Amino acid sequence: MNTKQIFSSLLFLLSILVLIPWFIATSGRWDLYYTLTSVALLAIASAGVWLTFYIGRINIGQGAFALLGGYITAILITKAHFSFWIALPLSGIGAALISVLIGLPILRLRGVYFAMITLVLTEVGRLSALALPITNGAKGISNIPLPGKVSLFGIPIIPDFATLENPRIGFYFLAVCLMILCFAVVFRLVHSRLGHLCRSMQQNEELTASIGVNIAYIRIIIYALCSFMGGIGGSIFAVMSQSIYPSSFQVADSINFMLNCFLGGLGYVFGPMLGTVVLYFGWDLLFQTGKYQMLIYSSLLILCMLILPNGLLSLRLPGRKNS
Amino acid sequence: MEQILVNGAYLGAQYALIALGLTLIFALMNVLNFAHGQMYVLGGFVTYTIYGQLGMPYALALLVTAVSLAVVGAVVERFLFRPVIRRSQRDESTMLLAAGLGFFLDAVILLLFGEKQRGVPKLIDGVFNWDFRVIMPHDRILIGCLAVGCIVLFILFMHFSKTGRALRALAQDRDAAQLMGVDVDRYSMTGFALGAMLAGIVGGLLVTITGVNLGMGGPTSTKAFMMVMIGGAGVIPGAIVGGVILGFMESILLSALASYGDVTYLLIFVSLMIFLAIRPNGLMGKPWG
Amino acid sequence: MRKLLVKTAGIAAISMAMACQTATANEALKIGFVGVTSGPAAAWGTSNVRSMQTRADWLNEQGGVTIGDTTYDIEIITFDDQKDPKRAIAGMEKMAQEGIHYVVGPNVDDGAAAVRPVAEKNDIIYFPYAFPKSLYTPPASNAVLGMIANYQSGPAIYTYLKENKGVKTVAFVAANESDPLSQRDGGVAAAEALGLKVVSSNITYQVDTTDFTPVITPAIKKRPDLLVLSGVAPANAPQLIRSARELGYQGIISTETAQDAQVLQEGAGNLANGFISVGGASTPEIASDTMREFVKRYTEKFGEYNDESNTKVYALEYIIETLKANPNALTNVEEFKKTIETFEVPNPYMKGDASLKYVGTTSFTQKRQLMVPLVVNVYQDGKFETLFIAEVD
Repeated sequence: MNTKQIFSSLLFLLSILVLIPWFIATSGRWDLYYTLTSVALLAIASAGVWLTFYIGRINIGQGAFALLGGYITAILITKAHFSFWIALPLSGIGAALISVLIGLPILRLRGVYFAMITLVLTEVGRLSALALPITNGAKGISNIPLPGKVSLFGIPIIPDFATLENPRIGFYFLAVCLMILCFAVVFRLVHSRLGHLCRSMQQNEELTASIGVNIAYIRIIIYALCSFMGGIGGSIFAVMSQSIYPSSFQVADSINFMLNCFLGGLGYVFGPMLGTVVLYFGWDLLFQTGKYQMLIYSSLLILCMLILPNGLLSLRLPGRKNS
Repeated sequence: MEQILVNGAYLGAQYALIALGLTLIFALMNVLNFAHGQMYVLGGFVTYTIYGQLGMPYALALLVTAVSLAVVGAVVERFLFRPVIRRSQRDESTMLLAAGLGFFLDAVILLLFGEKQRGVPKLIDGVFNWDFRVIMPHDRILIGCLAVGCIVLFILFMHFSKTGRALRALAQDRDAAQLMGVDVDRYSMTGFALGAMLAGIVGGLLVTITGVNLGMGGPTSTKAFMMVMIGGAGVIPGAIVGGVILGFMESILLSALASYGDVTYLLIFVSLMIFLAIRPNGLMGKPWG
Repeated sequence: MRKLLVKTAGIAAISMAMACQTATANEALKIGFVGVTSGPAAAWGTSNVRSMQTRADWLNEQGGVTIGDTTYDIEIITFDDQKDPKRAIAGMEKMAQEGIHYVVGPNVDDGAAAVRPVAEKNDIIYFPYAFPKSLYTPPASNAVLGMIANYQSGPAIYTYLKENKGVKTVAFVAANESDPLSQRDGGVAAAEALGLKVVSSNITYQVDTTDFTPVITPAIKKRPDLLVLSGVAPANAPQLIRSARELGYQGIISTETAQDAQVLQEGAGNLANGFISVGGASTPEIASDTMREFVKRYTEKFGEYNDESNTKVYALEYIIETLKANPNALTNVEEFKKTIETFEVPNPYMKGDASLKYVGTTSFTQKRQLMVPLVVNVYQDGKFETLFIAEVD
């Protein structure tokens, strides 16, 4: 990392951890906490999708793992009375384990086949949630309690969310911290030896395999990591909205996760984050336009692709051409 | 049992026609057209307007539908997909464009035709009933035959016309086709127009049976993707086989599993995943990468 | 001196303009809507929003609504949740941010259940078009059901058919989605409680089905006297009816959701004759002049009427009338809940002496439902005829 990168990441941290809460407190726009938290959680899931893009796979199945994560959390908390703070990592791990099982056969597929099979996977997720007895079927699971407090050696680290004056703030910090963590991991991964291998797999898998790289192993690792992030995102979503339904994450969500990556730019680690922000807020901002909302939104999306086919981050300011 | 087979054949014919357009576009340009279902819906609405609202003859309505969707397809290729494909670093970027186009068409359809389910008067009345073993309304038989007819016409066109041969050459190897003097740009546009036209024709055919509504677009795309995967992406016989297989699968499983209801589609999807895990390129697909 | 003159003139002009404005425009009373108005399920929310906007424009045209001592113009704030429970929550947060206390929607079960914590925390009374009983029974207290639930209309229809048409066996068909599945389960329970024999209840279909013949064949084979299409979307109803009739089904077909006559006419033609569904208050027999005027205005504004709007015209009316009855409820929803208990005014949309009041004690043990006439329609040659009218308590 050079100084410039350190500087900009510090600036970024400052703005989301200090400036945004300050802005909300002064402007009184408390509803922003929920939307921003949503964006952060969706960005986490999208980061996972971006990783699978990084090994050259189009993943339209993240919705299934987000749903899985949400259900694991909901079931652990409401049926087994786990603390949220234990259920959260377990949801991620559960999603990752399932993804290894599913990934072993389907990661052999490529291109459009992988894209489509993951799309079908999302639908399988929704239908399973409807059909399995443990998920409470169509009614979903509601009344999930808010996260409780965590203390280490008697010193409270995280307060009980239910006692907070505004639990949304708690979720906001939880989500953005996890988002920062996830993107840091992805950033580190991309710039590691594994990242180089991923890039070469994206170019040509046979060639990569021919120099002695265990590509099957790397594929599984990346896919599990992707699903882990999906599971985490879904888990917090379930607890924040205090409910989960088969329709909480469905095909439209899976497609959105993918679009976030495209929009931000497949070549940039922070692409999915930017893409999520723009796609989510783009829709919200257009809410004034009433019945033309969808028309304008989709036109802008198409326009974006026409002007910046490699994602928003491919836009370089004139002065920074050399950077 | 006979009823199940007849149902399957009817479903298969319409599915195959939907899948054909999608696979054609994919074969030519490596574009997974997420907006395919929306084009199908648009076709249905055009037929609805001309045949149902204006009371013109059905054949004319179908013709206008085909032409207007072909124009839509050509415009979309020329002004949207071509520039993006040329400038983007990765082929997949067109997926965002296709999805955006799908949203766009959805919005346009909502504004132009409203949110309601639409239907047109029946083409012919009467029900074919063979001793209650096979029951098939006459209009279904007609539409099924028309669908098969379209498929046959399309295959003949692809095999024996100059355009068809050029399109097949393009699908097989874009660079080689270009070297052999095929005008790649022109034929990409033709191919896209043809794909969109096929989607529109199915819409025009099915509006007489099932009607049409705004919501059918997305799910239709998904179903078309599945058929294409079963048969193998980018291969024309594959799309037909895939469509027919899915049609029969739905028909057979729906009656075999009727008493378990909720799990029919789950089972179809899961078996599809297992099938693809065993045959990663579908039945007759070309490897892609 | 000249400058001063200009200044004074300017100030005078501005104050004149302001005075004019206060004379014509009233204070705005914001009523929210959170529901789906785009994408595949757009039909559900669209008819909802449109009836609210039609009614609001109409009231504003008449000079607004006087609540207490102030006259308000009604302003409808809409939010499209894309049928996504996550977005629905964001929509409810947005309504809270706008300071809105009365929201119509969401349109589906999971959206309505998902917004509950937000609504309760921010003092929002909301009027979902969703049926889960848990939304309306204590400890829940902020949701008011905007229409007749299937577990209320279902038994009424089944009883009627049992007594008048000799129906003994029933089959249920539902889409494989949350709302229709819960409605089917409710319907099965109701039918069994009435002593009807349920011959088939687990047939489901995907909403994107293009051919319903294979779906419905197994149900027809059981030859039930009554075929119930649980929670059927208006888009699917004509196709299901058509398939069933073409397969030679002779019995009665019914549903507990509202349908649109024109959609049935276009999609199934005469095959839909005899189809029983639940409607609003617009059948010619019971529609008042106000209702006709509403339909006229709606049609003028949006080009085409949607029969589903008959049930959806009521929520806004109830909100405004209840606020009129107790102006304190404008900012205090506890006052609203108190008023609910005793509120009763004449129903402008129905002929005769029907009234607007809150009901639901039998189903929810508290008054958390709008008293909407339970009109059971039967489709005949392009329009609905009233089969019978009942009340819910």
